[in-house]
Amino acid sequence: MASVELRGLVKRFGSFVAVDDVSLTIDHGQLVCLLGPSGCGKTTTLRLIAGFLEPSDGEIRVGERVVSSRARTLPPEQRNMSMIFQSYALWPHMTVAENIVYGLRLRKMDRDSIAKKLAAILATTKLEPLAQRYPGELSGGQQQRVALARALIVGPETLLLDEPLSNLDANLREEMRFEIRRLHDEYRYTTVYVTHDQSEAMTTADLIAVMNAGKIDQLGSPEDIYARPESEFVARFIGAANVIKGTARDAEHVEFAGATLAVVGAKLAAGQSAPIAIRQHEIQLSTEAPATAQNTLKAIVTRQVYLGMNRDYMVETSDGTSLRVTTPTETAVEKGREVWLTLPPAHCRALSR
Amino acid sequence: MTTTTTSSSTAKPRIDWTRPVLWLFAAVLVLLILLPLSWLAVFAFTDKSRHPTLQNFVTLFSNPDFLDPLLTTAIIATTSALICCIVAAPISWLVSRTDMPGRQTIRALVTASFVTPPFLGAVAWELLAAPNSGLLNQLYRLFAGDDADALFNIYSMTGIIFVISCYTFPFVFVLVANALDTMPGELEDASAILGGNAWTTARRVTIPLALPALVAGALIAFLQAMTLFGSPAILALPAGFHTMTTKIWSLFQYPPKLELAAAAAVPLLVLTILLLQGQKALLGRRGYSVIGGKYGAPRRVELRGWRWAALGFCLLVLLNPVFLPYLALLNAAFSPNATTLVTPSTATLHNIVFVFTELSSTQLALKNTVILGTATATIGTILALVIAYVTTRKVIAGHRVLGFLATAPVAVPGIVLGVGLFLSYTRPPFVLYGTLWILLLAFLTINLPSAYQQLQAAFATIHPELEEASRILGATRLQALRQITAPLLRTGVIATWCFIFIGVMRELSAAIVLFTSQTKVLSVLIYDLNEGGDLAAIAVLGIAMLVITFAVVLAVNQIPMSGGNAGAKLRNG
Repeated sequence: MASVELRGLVKRFGSFVAVDDVSLTIDHGQLVCLLGPSGCGKTTTLRLIAGFLEPSDGEIRVGERVVSSRARTLPPEQRNMSMIFQSYALWPHMTVAENIVYGLRLRKMDRDSIAKKLAAILATTKLEPLAQRYPGELSGGQQQRVALARALIVGPETLLLDEPLSNLDANLREEMRFEIRRLHDEYRYTTVYVTHDQSEAMTTADLIAVMNAGKIDQLGSPEDIYARPESEFVARFIGAANVIKGTARDAEHVEFAGATLAVVGAKLAAGQSAPIAIRQHEIQLSTEAPATAQNTLKAIVTRQVYLGMNRDYMVETSDGTSLRVTTPTETAVEKGREVWLTLPPAHCRALSR
Repeated sequence: MTTTTTSSSTAKPRIDWTRPVLWLFAAVLVLLILLPLSWLAVFAFTDKSRHPTLQNFVTLFSNPDFLDPLLTTAIIATTSALICCIVAAPISWLVSRTDMPGRQTIRALVTASFVTPPFLGAVAWELLAAPNSGLLNQLYRLFAGDDADALFNIYSMTGIIFVISCYTFPFVFVLVANALDTMPGELEDASAILGGNAWTTARRVTIPLALPALVAGALIAFLQAMTLFGSPAILALPAGFHTMTTKIWSLFQYPPKLELAAAAAVPLLVLTILLLQGQKALLGRRGYSVIGGKYGAPRRVELRGWRWAALGFCLLVLLNPVFLPYLALLNAAFSPNATTLVTPSTATLHNIVFVFTELSSTQLALKNTVILGTATATIGTILALVIAYVTTRKVIAGHRVLGFLATAPVAVPGIVLGVGLFLSYTRPPFVLYGTLWILLLAFLTINLPSAYQQLQAAFATIHPELEEASRILGATRLQALRQITAPLLRTGVIATWCFIFIGVMRELSAAIVLFTSQTKVLSVLIYDLNEGGDLAAIAVLGIAMLVITFAVVLAVNQIPMSGGNAGAKLRNG
């Protein structure tokens, strides 16, 4: 059953199109990440789902009912959703406990049930000793957990998260990623998670929607997105792949810098210009000609940096294209030397856009 | 699940309440500002039978009766502005950039002169420096002999400029000290590390960075001196000459010449708008002083042996706006004769008893002031609150217009507004002259800009996500406002209310053309008592007024959000 469904969603601010014909179906209990650079429309999409914004076109359905359309937008308070904000938005004039039970009080729940639920969520989020503190007296990570508890305690149909970890330091961020996933697995709400951080999306999401310029560029599992990018944008944005531009010889071969590369991915038409993505650690670099000439080409080392775990190379092919290559530390070649690159066919992905 | 309730509400058409609200508030603001100014323009450019004419302006700029006040006002405003800069610049530098002892005390004393109503200061200086009875002149005669000429004569051009400067220099001080306070010490350090010695650094970095604030301060001081009514009315009229504001006021005396009064108000209005534009441009460009990076606290210049001399200088300057006048007022309040030095044996509470129990006009004026203060503060706070909410949360299209209208009265001097309101509400359909309503409109308009700015700043500190968080958890817009926004705004709202209240208490220049015998307020009463020569009663009322003002300013300064500059938010009239 589709829990949240966006159909042809459009949001315009004046002449600027922030969300441009976005359609997305989120199954019940699924965690979907909207991933993209700032200004790609992901937060606007989330605020449309929450009901803080009214769509210019298209509609949003939750379950079977239409909650947003051009004609009518249900106000946020009638959507049975919860949201975690980038700023956490904890109310400074209420204690931790008061913040958390706010939603239950609005739902006119009786005192005993509120106390019971509060105790349970405080235990889950390890906040018991802090219940009577004010938000100003908490650390960033603790504030984050209060925001989580406040959103989860009402048992929402849908949970929305807007860059929830961007204000935390690196260590805490990593810990909270798994925490969010663990809580999701425990409660199984339909969740929409907005982030610009790809590793955050990778660790938490069932499904990632990579957004660019108001559109969903590619939708897929984390593995799909990383291993099988379809567009140049996704290939570069996720894991910063090398993208080289060759010319297709036939459906599965591309001419590039004097070599012929066998590729996978999008089907090509002979003669078309073909962008190929390849990750820097998939490229093999050697000082001697490899045994097979297939998918190999020559290049000159223009930069080499020792990174401890591996070496980071910048090489230039005969047509002037620069490629980044990561090698084991044993492969040490100084700057200016000529090297052979092997681009394994399985990792050369032809991109359709 | 709330499906059942929501599906029923789906059928209801959405009520767009935002549009009526916009129109309602826009209409209120238009009524407050545009109506009086329109009538002002109509009268300025027509004759008695409302035929268009420029004759009023011809008279204004050719008749010596009007040219002289114009010239006098120009001299007073220019000289006061210069004196204010010369006095305020060194004090603000000492307070904000050096290790002079007692910096906080000096700031507090400047605030004290800021919140002293200028007309009260003028009365106090009458007590001190009237040619015959002035305390300072009496003191002088002790040494120079009884028949010596007076040392000071406050009823003179010099006297007026002096008194106006006393209560105008804090405007310059606040702007310059603020600029110096926020100027990062690293900017000076950067000059020092590149080889600039202390004086080079001051000359090439510190002074140029503070200069826009100083010039802006001078413009405001000029404006203030130009539009002030109380001090010139108290000091220039006995001396036998007029400024523009007193001239406008005299045109309301019998037989009234309303067309000329309206025409005379036009140059004041135009100049005010121009000067405010100039100030905005100057301070707007000052942004360059805080470019990039994080900065530490300002570095203080060590004065070494000069520390106490510097403090002495500041105290000597502050003798004039604070110590001497306050002493004169206290003396007058407790002395049987306002201009005789009180001694323990002559000290009396008679004046206080007299003012509050016997003086019949006090009761009425106090009652009117309390009614007007409460009503203006309440209505003004609500008005400012809604407009600030609308403009900071951008809830309706056209919110910018509301914000503009709410700040526009800044550019209308009190007496100009008074003239406009008089013209608007002495004729049908709105005959409000002679009622408290017309004063309420005047005070509302005058206090709206600062109230709006204060509440807008308060709203800006409340992240919109705080409201949204409560919405998404199930609160309606009104519930969110009541449970989240209102408690967070409470202190800001109370502060705004108090400020409007004391603003009403201090207002004279609009009230002076709008009051009738039944609608006298405290400030007008003080002015009347001065004409009657009852200085002891003024001292009592003035001290009461100051005590209330200081209590509010002190209380508001305790609220961290409002910052330490609460006094700067008052408008003098």
